[in-house]
Amino acid sequence: MKGIFSVLVENRDGVLSAVSGLFARRGFNIDTLAVGETDDHEISSMTITSTGDQRTIDQIEKQLNKNVDVIKVRRLTEARSVCLEMILTKVSYSATTRSSLIETCQMCGAKIIKAAPKYMLLEFHADPEAVEDFIQLVRPYGIIEIQRTGTIAMEK
Amino acid sequence: MTGAQAMIKCLEAEGVTRVFGYPGVAIAPFYEGLYNSDIEHVLVRQEQNAGHAASGYARMSRKTAVCVVTSGPGATNLITALATAYADSIPLVAISGQVSSKQLGRDVFQEADMRGATRSFVKYSFLVKDPDDIPRAFKEAFYIASTGRKGPVLIDIPMDVQSATLKKQFVYPEQVLIRGYKPEIKINRIQLRKVANLLNQSERPLICAGGGVILSNGEEIIREFCEKFNIPLVHTMMGMGVMPKRHPLNFGMLGNNGKPYANKAVGKADLLVVVGARIADRTIPKPENLTRRSVIHIDIDTAEIGKNMGPTIPLVGDLREVFSLLLNEEISVKSSKWADELEVVKHETVDTREFSDRFVNPNTLVQTLSEKLDDDAIYVADVGQNQLWSADNYVMKEGRFLTTGGMGTMGYSIPAAIGAMMACPGRQTVAVTGDGAFQMSMSELATMKANDVKLKVIIMKNDNLGLVREYQHSLYDGHYMGVGLGDWPRYDKVAEAYGMSYYECDSNDDIDDKLDTLLSDPEAGLLVCRVDEENRVK
Repeated sequence: MKGIFSVLVENRDGVLSAVSGLFARRGFNIDTLAVGETDDHEISSMTITSTGDQRTIDQIEKQLNKNVDVIKVRRLTEARSVCLEMILTKVSYSATTRSSLIETCQMCGAKIIKAAPKYMLLEFHADPEAVEDFIQLVRPYGIIEIQRTGTIAMEK
Repeated sequence: MTGAQAMIKCLEAEGVTRVFGYPGVAIAPFYEGLYNSDIEHVLVRQEQNAGHAASGYARMSRKTAVCVVTSGPGATNLITALATAYADSIPLVAISGQVSSKQLGRDVFQEADMRGATRSFVKYSFLVKDPDDIPRAFKEAFYIASTGRKGPVLIDIPMDVQSATLKKQFVYPEQVLIRGYKPEIKINRIQLRKVANLLNQSERPLICAGGGVILSNGEEIIREFCEKFNIPLVHTMMGMGVMPKRHPLNFGMLGNNGKPYANKAVGKADLLVVVGARIADRTIPKPENLTRRSVIHIDIDTAEIGKNMGPTIPLVGDLREVFSLLLNEEISVKSSKWADELEVVKHETVDTREFSDRFVNPNTLVQTLSEKLDDDAIYVADVGQNQLWSADNYVMKEGRFLTTGGMGTMGYSIPAAIGAMMACPGRQTVAVTGDGAFQMSMSELATMKANDVKLKVIIMKNDNLGLVREYQHSLYDGHYMGVGLGDWPRYDKVAEAYGMSYYECDSNDDIDDKLDTLLSDPEAGLLVCRVDEENRVK
């Protein structure tokens, strides 16, 4: 199963490494990890997604809670929260594929940030599943580079 | 006031009167502070043993103990002791000197990233970069170490921070406010009621007590609970002493290395109440087999519940509080004959192990020693066959059995016993060890002598790393590899070198006399008991 954790942590040095180290030490997977400051400079927010059986997901929550620098752990479900991921990608094109790539972008709602002679730099954000779909759609054109933010999530 | 002086003030505010340590340049300012204070410093001979001695001290004083080391190798040497204390949930505050804050991260002489290196072996760690943060860091360190599930906390302090002057006036905080750490758990009354209900439905309930009971000072209340409702008890190795061995409701140590009748009791029980124990692999190798019966798991650490086994009913809280509430619940255990049934099982269980009649039988040795020790004696067992023979045969009365059940760190017994004796001067203390484990920390005999501690050390000497040898016997057809210690060192010379009385025992006939002589000797003593290498734990 999938676990989505929204975690508030102290915004101090070493906290990210402590949290990620916890996953490494206990053999938990991190599928995605997104971190940023909140409106309070002393607190950072992390969204961590992971997959594992029920016991693993329960343990992740408990172990996160045990960490002194972790202020609050919330477990989110896809059904009752908004999950978004953003990607930046450079996709190559030729004279023959150009219009169909533009069409694909329009269809999906991706933004063309830059059109260079040989590639387009695209920005796309959506729920993680739609992001996967978009990547599959543009893959045939030739992905030169891709950057993903990882999932960020918030309860509705 | 300098940072170092502030550190001393903090220790004084926490009531610390003694620290175990090993100095170096990066912690020198703190030692200058110690020089001008009343805090006693116990110089060990290797940093790991500062941690173990502090562990023995903490366990016997039931307070947080302090160890101090310098940066780099001094600090890394301590890590094994921190991991040991972490596994056994022993409250320690470890202070490590660090290179100057301006040099951090530059790989200068004797720099080691201690926060990074100890991350998975401490409850929390601090790197103090501002002398004005010292009071808060110390207050929080002592608070975190001693509350909730106890454990070691590291304070890493660069030497320039120790030397710098505080800008603010020194005030030791009275209260702690850590947003992410709330160890005081309000006991869930609904869960408590469920526990009582399940006990009421049960015909064969069994308490399984772990080290957490001792750490929460819960021995008395657990005994009261068992006696009030006539509920039998088994315990883990770390739970030895929760109930005296000869108590009619105590059915011994369970697990791989425990009593077969204790494991049979677990098999027969319809309800297992696990208290302050983490369902470790050596205690319950196949937790999935337990799920056929109801399991109540009571622990202070939420994360322990469900980690190795999903219980029927989890209950989180301080054990002493939980049991004082349970004592007031309406509980009547249905089967009054359950404890009698187990008594029959106990008597029907025959020990089929055979022991060599050459030299000293380790079982007889520990049994005889038990009879001779004071009721409240401190028995410190090392790691290996000596530990398992000790746990198997020691007849615990109202004393303590100190060993490292979680990490199994060889060499624990001598430094831990020194710490224990310093916490409880005048209380009879023996360290029982093997010839392998002894050699890992025999340098601490100098610490013992230098501090006028009169420890009795008993070595079960079989010239081998016995437990590994036993493993190679069982699993690798007796292909013994790297386990022979040979007949070294000359223990009489070791005793002489460290100013100890020396005794040897080569046969069962002599055990009685030799133990009498050792225990009545006013000086520190070393008794070497020769044990046949073919003797096995299983």
